[in-house]
Amino acid sequence: MDHECRIKRNEPLKSGYWRIVFEAPEIAAAARGGQFVHVKITPMKDRILRRPFSISNADPVTGELTVVYKVVGHGTAELAQMRAGESCRILGPLGNAYTVPDAETFPILAAGGYGTAALYLTARNAPQKGILLLGARTKEDLILVEDFKKLGFEVRIATNDGSVGHKGFVTELLPGALEGRDKAKCLVCGCGPTPMLLALGKLTLEQNVLAELSLDQHMCCGVGACFACVVKIKDTTSPDGWRYSRSCKEGPVYNATEVYYG
Amino acid sequence: MADLTTKLGRLTLKNPVMTASGTFGYGMEYDSFFPISKLGAVVVKGIAPWQSHGNPTPRVAEVTSGMLNAIGLQGPGIDKFLNDEHYMPFLRKSGATVIVNIWGKKIEDYAEVAARLDAESEGIAALEINVSCPNVKEGGLAFGTDPAMMGKVVAAVRAATKLPLITKLSPNVTKIADFAKSAEANGSDMVSLINTIPAMAIDIETFRPKIANITGGLSGPAVKPVAVRMVYEASRAVKIPVIGMGGIMTGEDAIEFFLAGASAIAVGTAIFADPLAPLHVLDGINAWLDRKGVASLKEIIGAVKI
Repeated sequence: MDHECRIKRNEPLKSGYWRIVFEAPEIAAAARGGQFVHVKITPMKDRILRRPFSISNADPVTGELTVVYKVVGHGTAELAQMRAGESCRILGPLGNAYTVPDAETFPILAAGGYGTAALYLTARNAPQKGILLLGARTKEDLILVEDFKKLGFEVRIATNDGSVGHKGFVTELLPGALEGRDKAKCLVCGCGPTPMLLALGKLTLEQNVLAELSLDQHMCCGVGACFACVVKIKDTTSPDGWRYSRSCKEGPVYNATEVYYG
Repeated sequence: MADLTTKLGRLTLKNPVMTASGTFGYGMEYDSFFPISKLGAVVVKGIAPWQSHGNPTPRVAEVTSGMLNAIGLQGPGIDKFLNDEHYMPFLRKSGATVIVNIWGKKIEDYAEVAARLDAESEGIAALEINVSCPNVKEGGLAFGTDPAMMGKVVAAVRAATKLPLITKLSPNVTKIADFAKSAEANGSDMVSLINTIPAMAIDIETFRPKIANITGGLSGPAVKPVAVRMVYEASRAVKIPVIGMGGIMTGEDAIEFFLAGASAIAVGTAIFADPLAPLHVLDGINAWLDRKGVASLKEIIGAVKI
């Protein structure tokens, strides 16, 4: 499950966002939308932990594994310095996946920031081309918009500063996306910051539409051993009504009905 | 290849490489990577009389050459541990040598868990008493930083079980020898050390501590020289075997602990970087012994030249 993977391309997209493509045939063959990989960033010597990244795309034919990342700290800064031909050890695919919509199901994908990256593979594999609701702080943070359009998805945008699309939160776009549709035949898949996902989850419960949310926390081992990346889910057997679930193992994708919102 | 058979009092292990409690889950998490029965012993995450949530998140932060954690002993509790298929029933089937780490808030809690495990001890090789977790408010470190208090916990557990006992010592003390002696005097068959070192990291953008518990336990290569020194001091103070741990990433790191006086070692944080780390450490120990022409690991235990 731990593979030495050569970098084929590592290129900047815009505003600190990068796309890296690895030669990873075993991972690409097994990957499903919503899963992640745990990467040992080779040049990091005095930082020993791996870095988790959502799988953005995986092609079983070419064996290519694509990850979209933002330079935010030591690990991603080092990753951005790596070049084609160099390699990293990659553990994966890890975690569970979004349900792949069947031919009857209309997919509504809801992303915050570069949450789009984790939704791309699900969009690609969906028989019906649906809607991507994309929220970001400003237009600079809108990532992969053209990629989703090329798949045939309609893209509706909300920005906090109103620089593009609706001024406000991405959750405010959901009622419009559901309008006139048979909710029983819609599936909402969400990925983004936790507050956005909790708001989205509550809204989908009110709207009575199925939703799956990709939740996580600072991760360490990536395989369920260390209990670092836990998120709260409902548990009627617990006196508190919730328990901590390991997002790397039991998640990262949770049904909105499972999530504890208290 | 050198003889790696490891005798820890009345406990015999096939090799000296164990996993540090809290870094290997309950064994099952790593079973898909390698047969966990290859290890000297699997030390499972701490078990209390009750199920517990642990601390709020974020629970970990990376630092230079190490990490901080404040998981807070999230765990299934003794009932679920003994009966749920993911825990002890799985471990029995795995063929692994199993050591169960135990903790509580009161002395009676430790004795209760020990008695429960003693009553269903099939497949359990030993118990490890956790009197050194820095991340829970009650129990844990409160017992581990006073030799007399720690001795009472050890004596209570000793009275509750016939299983071999390991007492896991805290590095957060001035004189580690006193704690090793207290464990020995109260019936512990071994001591293990070190647990993590209380530490802190702050996000300079937000001014907030990097983990929700404010402080956490430092582990990884950053703590290794502290651990080697404490293993050296503890092993010279007692006759019972010492299990050394703290930042072991390679076979060479492990050798340093043997030379300091450890009879066995545990791999911890390294597992988070590489799930196969314990096996790589074992290979590295073998390679070093072969290179040096050492026939048996026993020959180098405590062999540091002073």
